[in-house]
Amino acid sequence: MSTATADPVVPQAERLALRAEGISKHFEGVAALTEARLEVRPGEIHALLGENGAGKSTLIKVLTGVHQPDDGRIESAGEEVRFSGVRDAHHSGVVALYQETSIVPTISVAENILLGERTPSSGGLISWNRLYREARRQLDRLNQGHIPLRRLAGRLSPVQQTMVSVARALAADARVLILDEPTAALTDTEIRDLFAVLRALRADGVGIVYVSHRLEEVFELCDRVTIMRNGQTIVTRDVAEMTIDEVISTMVGRSAEDLFPERGTATDRVVLEVTGLHGNKVKDLSFSAHAGEVLGIGGLAGSGRSELMRLLAGDQRRTEGTIAVEGRELAGSRGVGRALEHGIALVPEERRSQGVSLGATIQDNIAIANLSRVSNAGWVSASGIARLAREGIADLRIKTRGPRQQVGLLSGGNQQKVVLAKMLARHPRVLLLDEPTRGIDVGTKAEIYRLIRALAAAGTTIIAVSSELPELIGLSDRILIMHEGRVSGEVPAAGADEELLLSYCYGRKA
Amino acid sequence: MAQTTDTVPAVEVPQDKTQMSQMLWQGGTIIALVALIVVFGILRPAAFLSFGNMTNILAQVAILTIIAAAQTVVMVTGHFDLSVGTTATLAGATASALMINGMPVSMAIVVGVLVGTLVGIVNGILVAYLGISAIVATLATMTTVGGLAFIVTDGTTLYGMPESFNWIGQTRLAGIPMPVFFALIVAAVIWVILRYTTVGRRWYAVGGNSEVARLSGVNVRLNVLLAFTVAGFASALGGIILVSRLSSASSTSANDYMMLAVAAAFLGMTLLKSGQANIGGTLVGVGIIGVLQNGLNIVGVNTYIQQVLTGIIIIAAVLMSSLKSKNA
Repeated sequence: MSTATADPVVPQAERLALRAEGISKHFEGVAALTEARLEVRPGEIHALLGENGAGKSTLIKVLTGVHQPDDGRIESAGEEVRFSGVRDAHHSGVVALYQETSIVPTISVAENILLGERTPSSGGLISWNRLYREARRQLDRLNQGHIPLRRLAGRLSPVQQTMVSVARALAADARVLILDEPTAALTDTEIRDLFAVLRALRADGVGIVYVSHRLEEVFELCDRVTIMRNGQTIVTRDVAEMTIDEVISTMVGRSAEDLFPERGTATDRVVLEVTGLHGNKVKDLSFSAHAGEVLGIGGLAGSGRSELMRLLAGDQRRTEGTIAVEGRELAGSRGVGRALEHGIALVPEERRSQGVSLGATIQDNIAIANLSRVSNAGWVSASGIARLAREGIADLRIKTRGPRQQVGLLSGGNQQKVVLAKMLARHPRVLLLDEPTRGIDVGTKAEIYRLIRALAAAGTTIIAVSSELPELIGLSDRILIMHEGRVSGEVPAAGADEELLLSYCYGRKA
Repeated sequence: MAQTTDTVPAVEVPQDKTQMSQMLWQGGTIIALVALIVVFGILRPAAFLSFGNMTNILAQVAILTIIAAAQTVVMVTGHFDLSVGTTATLAGATASALMINGMPVSMAIVVGVLVGTLVGIVNGILVAYLGISAIVATLATMTTVGGLAFIVTDGTTLYGMPESFNWIGQTRLAGIPMPVFFALIVAAVIWVILRYTTVGRRWYAVGGNSEVARLSGVNVRLNVLLAFTVAGFASALGGIILVSRLSSASSTSANDYMMLAVAAAFLGMTLLKSGQANIGGTLVGVGIIGVLQNGLNIVGVNTYIQQVLTGIIIIAAVLMSSLKSKNA
């Protein structure tokens, strides 16, 4: 890392914690960032927003030394810096926390907090007393003194793991903390705890960059917002000066109204009939769903909504009850293949670990659920596989170089479209969608909503689980709320009241 | 085990053009193979490049090809089979013992192959249905099966198999030893299965992400069981051909092929950007191991040093291609 001398005229107090200007970055000739900029003041929470592919991640990677910019200037605490790697950025006090890689699960909390160079030692031996003392100090600073220092970090709850990684960043004297979707795996209460910690850090003078797709959080937590689109910084403003609609339209470059398509495709014809269903977490559940209907399923994490989807898809064992599609009952107690044969297809909750095989191509991903369509007596037709993939790419407007592109190289929204294409190629009668738009940018979300409604219009029965109430209301015709494995409320979606749904979520009976 | 080997026949890694654009070649491993051939060709042109040397070693690389192909099938599903070597040994020993005791040759071969297939089924059940990790499960069966081979041979070397058995390993067709043809057939059949059948697609899907495969309606357990079964079957074939070529069956005759088969399949995985096991790559891996051992023999490097060098060159080839993919 080389540092240039700062302009001596600028007083220390007015220095920005981090300033990036005119940042450009190309990958194989494709511009990922064009003259992007970002300013982070000490003691602010700064939202960085943009659709997937807008350049947020690339900018973060440039700011933290993972990538080196082709052009542009980065200043850390008023001094120009060039990070040749993550270590340089760390030394300069710029730290990014990623959900998946934030802790080492197999060592203790205290060791995690003082990992690496920070581990206190003398003569090559770890000074355990100093380690625990220092780790305790960092956790206390976050009001997290209750986290046991000696517990294995992997046994902590997700929010506690996030706290530990924040504590580690603080131990490394972070001045700028970059959080990428920190609340994705957290419950509402845990999110409150995290916000409290972030506010405390802000009061301490730490500059926080907050990346999230959840705009409600941004408006609750953040002071300023920078919105990116197509690799460029469009605007930086105070959050108080903007409305959610303005933010969305700036992100997508067009108006955000009509995110949800018109309802009115539901019929009276029963397609799916579930009676007395029991299984993992699900207790005595009965409901029916109709052709052309979008049935929304809500509930808190752990209410059994995902388990219900797994039971319907044949992936979990049903201990009691029946599932019938158009009058034909599913035999046996489990079997994904059998459910698929009855026309029940699941788009699972975790896209990257359950939905697509990231290392495989688009066409192989689509083919694996449709082998009978692309084979004859066990022989696979290469042209059939390619044709099926091209159809899916065209129908769902997947942005890709072609059917042979690796799915891991696609954006999150396009990966989700591959999962949809895979299941839609089977022409399911009942399509189960578990969190169909999680972690997907606003533009693609709208596209997926339109697609869901178009499928319903064609007579498909859609059952969608979502933890976002506005999505549940906007997307569905009818909503079932689950609580502790049972239905706690059922309402028509049109004009549904969020507060009422929430009270059902907490188990207040209708 | 094979001390000398040679350039693999012209089995250029079989991929069609469209496939190639998708699966970017990681050239390092192929460069290593070519470099070895060039170096030995320059050092000992007369001895190394002679027709006699080629054909002589083809037979020895043939057995490795069959066992490495078996290993490849299991590795495609994301698992490992450490028992392929002792399974081959047991199958060869069983067939030999039976024919020495008067069973018709064809019957003895069938029983030998069945024994190997049975080991594969046991491996498959342990891994797929009882959830034991493949390394642990096949390490255990490797040991047990190795012990059974000692029991079958009574710890000695069996010989005196009927003359009619010898044609499998000792005759030649157009000057090329018969085992080479068997190896090509096994490799080709497995290549076709992996590439053109629904079973092959399912194996690759299970290896890529077994949960995604399961949620796509693939019976993951059954397919893993099937892969281990095929591996046991193919290993048994390799073991029986080896016994015929040697005219004798010892209690450890094919054991050493296991490590070499793993190494060959690993080298082959470096050929695909996706890092999947594949028959074409495995053949290149077999070629590297074969050329290396044969070349070092001809140059006069002793067997102990050969073993050291083999390990080093495998690491170098893998490093080369991983560096290359990092820069890409």
